Amino acid sequence: MSGDQGFLSLVLHTHLPFVRHPEHQDFLEERWLFEAITETYLPLLERFERLANDRVPCRITMSFTPTLLAMLGDLFLQSRYTKHLEGLIELSEKEIVRTRWQPPFHRLALFYHHRLTTARRLFVDAYHCNLIAAFRKFVDAGIIEPIASCATHGFLPLMDYQPAAARAQIRIGVQAFEQAFGRRPAGIWLPECGYHPGHDEFLKALNIRYFLTDAHGVLFGSPRPKYGPYAPVVCPSGVAAFGRDLESSKSVWSAEEGYPGDAVYREFYRDIGFDLDYDYLRPYIGGAGVRVHTGLKYYRITGKTDHKEPYDPDRALEKAAAHAGNFMFNREKQIEHLRGMMDRQPLIVSPYDTELYGHWWFEGPDWLECLARKVHFDQKVFQLITPSDYLARYPRNQVVQPAMSSWGYQGYNEVWLNGSNDWVYRHLHKMVDRMVELATREPQAEGIRRRALNQLARELLLAQSSDWAFILKTGTHTGYAYRRVRDHLARFTTLYDGLTRHAVSEPWLAEVESTDNLFPFLDYRVYAHTNGSSTST
Amino acid sequence: MLVPALLPEGQSTYLTQVARPTQAPAARTAETEAFQIPSGYGDHRIVLMVKDPWWLYAYWEIQPALERQARSQLAPEEFAGVQSVLRAYDVTDRDVPQQPAHGWFDIPLSGMASSWFIHANAPNRSFIVELGLLTRTGRFLMLVRSNRVTTPRAGPSEIIDEEWLTTDDTYWKLVGLTAGIGMGASEAAIRELLQRKLLSPGISSPGLFSQSKLPKATGFWLQVDTELIIRGATDPKASVTIQGQAVTLRPDGTFSIRMALPDGTQVIPVEAVAPDKQQRRAITPTVTRQTDGHAALPIDGTQPATRAKFEV
Repeated sequence: MSGDQGFLSLVLHTHLPFVRHPEHQDFLEERWLFEAITETYLPLLERFERLANDRVPCRITMSFTPTLLAMLGDLFLQSRYTKHLEGLIELSEKEIVRTRWQPPFHRLALFYHHRLTTARRLFVDAYHCNLIAAFRKFVDAGIIEPIASCATHGFLPLMDYQPAAARAQIRIGVQAFEQAFGRRPAGIWLPECGYHPGHDEFLKALNIRYFLTDAHGVLFGSPRPKYGPYAPVVCPSGVAAFGRDLESSKSVWSAEEGYPGDAVYREFYRDIGFDLDYDYLRPYIGGAGVRVHTGLKYYRITGKTDHKEPYDPDRALEKAAAHAGNFMFNREKQIEHLRGMMDRQPLIVSPYDTELYGHWWFEGPDWLECLARKVHFDQKVFQLITPSDYLARYPRNQVVQPAMSSWGYQGYNEVWLNGSNDWVYRHLHKMVDRMVELATREPQAEGIRRRALNQLARELLLAQSSDWAFILKTGTHTGYAYRRVRDHLARFTTLYDGLTRHAVSEPWLAEVESTDNLFPFLDYRVYAHTNGSSTST
Repeated sequence: MLVPALLPEGQSTYLTQVARPTQAPAARTAETEAFQIPSGYGDHRIVLMVKDPWWLYAYWEIQPALERQARSQLAPEEFAGVQSVLRAYDVTDRDVPQQPAHGWFDIPLSGMASSWFIHANAPNRSFIVELGLLTRTGRFLMLVRSNRVTTPRAGPSEIIDEEWLTTDDTYWKLVGLTAGIGMGASEAAIRELLQRKLLSPGISSPGLFSQSKLPKATGFWLQVDTELIIRGATDPKASVTIQGQAVTLRPDGTFSIRMALPDGTQVIPVEAVAPDKQQRRAITPTVTRQTDGHAALPIDGTQPATRAKFEV
């Protein structure tokens, strides 16, 4: 049975940018969602089912971004995903035939066919295409503590110039959470762990009790935090901040030293989408006709060599169990050390991107399940809890002003502000000015003007996604990121001009509404500048 | 595990109109495509942002009229050598302009610049910047002033809370623990390691969409694989097996399956049973693949070191 020397909080941040293109028959970037559903969300849900059935106590904190929730709840994308999955199942059937004389690959083709048909059974039959309801089931079962995030994953430290923009990202994010989960969020995931001093006031106004920062957000806080990142600190506003533990993060994240780089694990980059004959793949790679990852991957990492050995799922599963044991053992040692130094039970906070599990690290969901079981059955040092659970045990915490920080490269704002993406901000700032101007000038809009103002806010929010700046920086898919910024700026500008000239075209507005259709609850007045508006909700 | 019937090669029930081009762009797309991102908005404005503890970033937009107006204040002898500069003021804990700044430094700008990364090199300090004209005599004519920003701390706070007392030793041990170097290391070693952790790209989000293809092998390379297509036709109502496994027939009675062909010999009995279950036909091709050598060829091609032989 798990013990009480200290605690571990696993935090999974679940996010995808809003990618929905009904104007195209088939759209490459919509595959981000499809891959995440097949490789991450469904495998995780399947493992939560098993833990719940076996009554293994497990507490995991999961944030869900409003853009992802909007896509998961969207009937159009649900139906596109189902069709996509049908295609993959058919491809796996062909692969069973094609690999008949290659036993190691034949076995894998059968393995994928089984996984994909299981995915269809879960998605269509068990969850009726609604993964929000599926996750909610495990919220109700006490396995998941869901937390909110910002509306479109806007990177808040760079909204310091216009607090109204940060406030709206937070407020709309919390509204979207309430729509999806029917409750107030206890905590919030600030996109990219991006914290700027003062933004906790916006959280306070919404009764949010905690957020997460990177290690140095707490470590460089002032006054100096007595427990380092191993206990929360409280901002002057009263909102708690939990710092990330780098050591436990690294063992999962790091491509070099981390578990996911093990030679027996599945090789991400070898995919039949790139290995097989083009004509054979053509029906399954989408309208653009460029080779893509199909998810059918037959090799293991093997080593730093071009020569790859066939993947063996059984061996990989054994290794995932061993790695879960190693992770647990290291946390036991870490917590025993800390317990000797602290006059309270330490808390280790380990946040990860959810999509790391399954998509990048194929065996990640197995590792997670094994870890939950082992923590419960095989050790006597610590328990899995959520940040809320910790605050319930330790309501009194040191008051510290956390430092501005993020979990991006170099720890601050560089990833989202550098020579490849800095041009975006003059437009984002102008859009915010215009949004605030119109919302303040016209607090009682009705009819088409009200619709146009709400859509104006949606276009602003979509342009603010940190993903575009991130993609522009990383250098893959940059054309798409550039187009997204431009398209939202274009729609925003057309709407703004229409509103100021009292000439909004209704058919055009209706089209834009049906394309960028997220946040139906949105009220543009969230941007209105009124005295004391920062405390009302 | 359910094994589906062999699916005919080349047949897809999934997408029947794969090659169809995407729908004609909707009106909104056409409008959006035509949209040019503006270079400016006709404003006078400079905005200051923080990149990290050491670097700031400013962008600006100035209309020519404003600059002309400023230049009109210059005496004729001041005209030569007037330089556009960014002047960055350290305003930490100062309420400017009521209180003076701690100091300032100038960055001379090149002609068309409309943004600049500024090396302030000063963690936990507050700044504003002004864009202006600097004369050779040292006169500064401000055109626009920015918002105020504060750089983040790049190390631990010097302030210790009496109620939550901690020692340097304990603090650095905790830092060492999260940085993963245990308890015994020196403060300097831990400081350095923590800095390196922050610089490490490996422990934050890769993002779902940052996937790239496996780096291609460098140098000249060749890869060869073989596949075999078995095709045939029979009575559309017949049942057909290949190596004992049922094959799905197309409506016209044709069938074809596609298989990876490894080295070795494959004996492939193809058997059809008539709809009346009375008549049977069997044809059994045998295929051998043998691949030799992985050696590089001499450039004149005289010594073929790689041969593949197929016998059917």
